[in-house]
Amino acid sequence: MLTRRNLLKRSAISGVTLLAFETCYASPQIPPAPDGMGHHFEFLTPEDRGILSKLIPVILAESLPSSSKKHEQAIKEVIVGWDIAVSGLPILTQQELRKLFSVLDSNLIFSLTPRLLTGVPGAWEDPTEIEDFLNNWRNSNPESIITGNELRVGYMGMVELTMASWYGNPRSWDFCGYGGPPVLSGT
Amino acid sequence: MSDAKNTITDFVAEGFQNGWKHIDASQLDEDQTLETDVVIIGSGAGGGNSAEILAQAGLNVMIVEEGPLQTSSDFHMKEDEAYPNLYQESAGRQTKDRGIKIFQGRMVGGGTGINWTTSFRTPSSTLKFWAEEMSVQGFSEEEMRPWFELVEKRYNIQDWTDTPNANNSVLETGCTKLGIRWGKIRRNVAGCLNLGYCGTGCPVNAKQSTLVTTIPGALKKGATLISKARAETFEIKKGKIDKLHCRSMTPRGNAPGRQSIKIKARHYVLAAGGIGSPAVLLRSENKTLNPYGLVGKRTFLHPVNISGAIMPFRVNGEYGAPQTSYSDHYIETRLDNQRAGFKLECPPLQPMLTATSLEGHGKSHAEIMKQRPFLQVLIALQRDGFHHDSIGGQVFLKSDGTPGLDYQVSGYVWEGIRDAFLVMAEIQFAAGAKVVAPAHRDARLYHSLKEVKKTIAALDMEILKARLFSAHVMGGCPIGENPVKSVVNSMGRHHEVENLSVFDGSVFPTSIAANPMVSIFGTSAKFATELAKGLAA
Repeated sequence: MLTRRNLLKRSAISGVTLLAFETCYASPQIPPAPDGMGHHFEFLTPEDRGILSKLIPVILAESLPSSSKKHEQAIKEVIVGWDIAVSGLPILTQQELRKLFSVLDSNLIFSLTPRLLTGVPGAWEDPTEIEDFLNNWRNSNPESIITGNELRVGYMGMVELTMASWYGNPRSWDFCGYGGPPVLSGT
Repeated sequence: MSDAKNTITDFVAEGFQNGWKHIDASQLDEDQTLETDVVIIGSGAGGGNSAEILAQAGLNVMIVEEGPLQTSSDFHMKEDEAYPNLYQESAGRQTKDRGIKIFQGRMVGGGTGINWTTSFRTPSSTLKFWAEEMSVQGFSEEEMRPWFELVEKRYNIQDWTDTPNANNSVLETGCTKLGIRWGKIRRNVAGCLNLGYCGTGCPVNAKQSTLVTTIPGALKKGATLISKARAETFEIKKGKIDKLHCRSMTPRGNAPGRQSIKIKARHYVLAAGGIGSPAVLLRSENKTLNPYGLVGKRTFLHPVNISGAIMPFRVNGEYGAPQTSYSDHYIETRLDNQRAGFKLECPPLQPMLTATSLEGHGKSHAEIMKQRPFLQVLIALQRDGFHHDSIGGQVFLKSDGTPGLDYQVSGYVWEGIRDAFLVMAEIQFAAGAKVVAPAHRDARLYHSLKEVKKTIAALDMEILKARLFSAHVMGGCPIGENPVKSVVNSMGRHHEVENLSVFDGSVFPTSIAANPMVSIFGTSAKFATELAKGLAA
C-alpha cells in the first residue's frame, strides 16, 4: 500500500505535545455535556458528549422530534446509545474512535492545523459551521495524499454510529414508518 | 399466526437444561486442559455440520465458538440487540481501507444463525472452474449431487411457495418487464411465519440453522460445546498439532478474558470462516502450517453494491421472508469473463440496517428515511475470483492478534459494480419506481432512467465513494491437489499437517457466485464423512 500521512494520528500527537500552550492560547469552547439520564458512561467523556450534542441534530435533522423537550430527550438518548454501542466494539476500534474525538475535542488543533485540512468547528455552536465541517469530511477525497481516507472514514463513523443509535431507538420509528417487530402470539 | 404458539418452544435451551454439555468460557475462573478425539473451531455452516457427522460416527467432539450461546427465546427481533450480540465486531467489521463493510455471524450457529436462509447449490460453472483451473478433484456436479441432496434433507431446504414480499416482487416484475431471467430462492426453513427477521436470529426456530439442527444433533451424541472462547494458536510438535490454545472472552465478548483453555485432540478441524480460520493459522506462526505463504490469500467477498428506489406503493421491506427472488442473468451471460458477472437479490429493510447503509446525513438522509415504507432495495453480488485481475484479499493480523482483511477491489470488478448500478436502476424503473438512488457518495435521487444512466456512467468507481458490503467471506485456505497452490487437499486435509482439516468457506478457491451456505454444508458433509471413516478405523 502507498505510504500516506496519517492526519488523525499526527494531530493527536501534536495535541499532546502542544498541550502546554493550551492555557495560553485557547480556552476550551466545548459545549457542556447533556446529562446522561443515569447512564454510566464507559467511553464518552463529558467533552465528547458536549460535541455530540451539537453534531447529532445536524446529522439527524428533521428525523428528530420537533417539540423542544422531546428533541432534547432524543439527543440525550442517542448519546447514551452511542456509548453503549462503542463500549461493545473491539478495543482497537475504540482506540480509533478515541483518536477521532481527540481531533474533534481540541480547539488547539483547530487553531494550529490549517482549516482546509480538518475544518473542525471552533466553538461547536453554529449549525451552519457544523454542516460545512460534515460536508467537508464527507466529500474529502479518500485518495488524498495529505489526509488519506481519514476524514471520509471519520465522517462515515460519526454518521453510522448516530444513525444506528437513533434508528435502533423506538422513538425514531414513527418518523420512518416502522411498526416495530411483529408481536408473536403465545409469548 | 395461529401456529406460532406451537413453534415457539425453545427446545435448544431445554436441551442444555437437560444435560447437553456446555461450557461458557466467560464464566470460568480457572484455566482448563481438555482432551477429546476431534476439536472443531467454529459452529457455523462448516463446524456445526461436521460436528454432527463426527459425533454420530462415535467420536468424542468438542466445538469451540467465539460467540455466545443464545437461543430462540433470546431473539427479540430487535436490531440494537442483535448486531452487537450476534455479529462480528457488532456488524461493523470492515476491510482494511474501510471500503467494504463485512457482515459475519458470531454466535453458536455462526452465519447460519443470522443469515437470510438463501439456499443455492454451488453453481456447476463454479465447480467446473475449480476442476479445470484450480486442480480440485472430486467436485464435479455428479460427485457433489449426493452431498447436496443429503444436506438439503438435513436442513429442510425446499422451494418457497408463499407470495414474495413487495421488495422481492419488484425484482420479479422489473426483470419480467425487461426480459431478464429470474427465479425463486429455496430456503432452509420449517414452519416459517414469514416474519422477516432472519437477520436478528429466528425467534420461532423456523430457520434451520446449525443452532437448531446439527449442533443439537452432536450434543445429543455427547459432544461438548464451549462458547465465548477464542481459538488462538496451534502448538506444533514433530510436524503435528499437539494442542490448541484458546482464550476465554469477557462476558460482553468484545475482548479476551483471563482464562486459558488448552485442548489436546487426535484431530483438529478449522471451521471459523474465511477470516477466522486463516487467522488461527497465521497466529500460530509455524512454517509447517503455511509453507508457501498462501494462508489468508485469495479471500473473496462477493462485493455488494446497492440501489434504492422509492416506489408508488408501500413496500414495507422489513416484513416477510427477506430474500426469495433472484436473478442470475448477469452471471450466466457473462461466464466468458469478458465482463464481471453479478447476482441480483434483495435485502431486508429494518430501519437500523437501512439507515446505516444509506449515504449521507441531514435533510437528504431524513427525507429517504421518512419515505422508508415505500423504499425498495436491490443488491448485486459480484462474482469475484474467476478473472486473472480478481485476486481477492489477504487476511492479516492486527497489533492485538485479531484478524483484518485487506481487500482491493480490482478494476475488473469495479466495472461489474458500475454495470450493476445501471441494471438495478433499469429494473427498479421498469417496476414503476418514482425515484432511484444508487448508493454512492456522489449520486443523488433520480427521476428518470435517462438521468440516472448518465450519472452512473460518470461516477467514480472508487473505494469509500461507492458504498460496498459483503456477507460472504470465502477462500484463504483453498482446496487443490497442488500443494504449492493450495492449503488443503480436495478432502479438506492440510497438505503438510496430517491431523489438521479445514471444513468451512475458507476452502473455496474462488467465490461461489451464489450465497455460500449450501456449498459449505455440502463440502463439509463430504469432508467430515471421509474424516470420520479415517478416525474410526
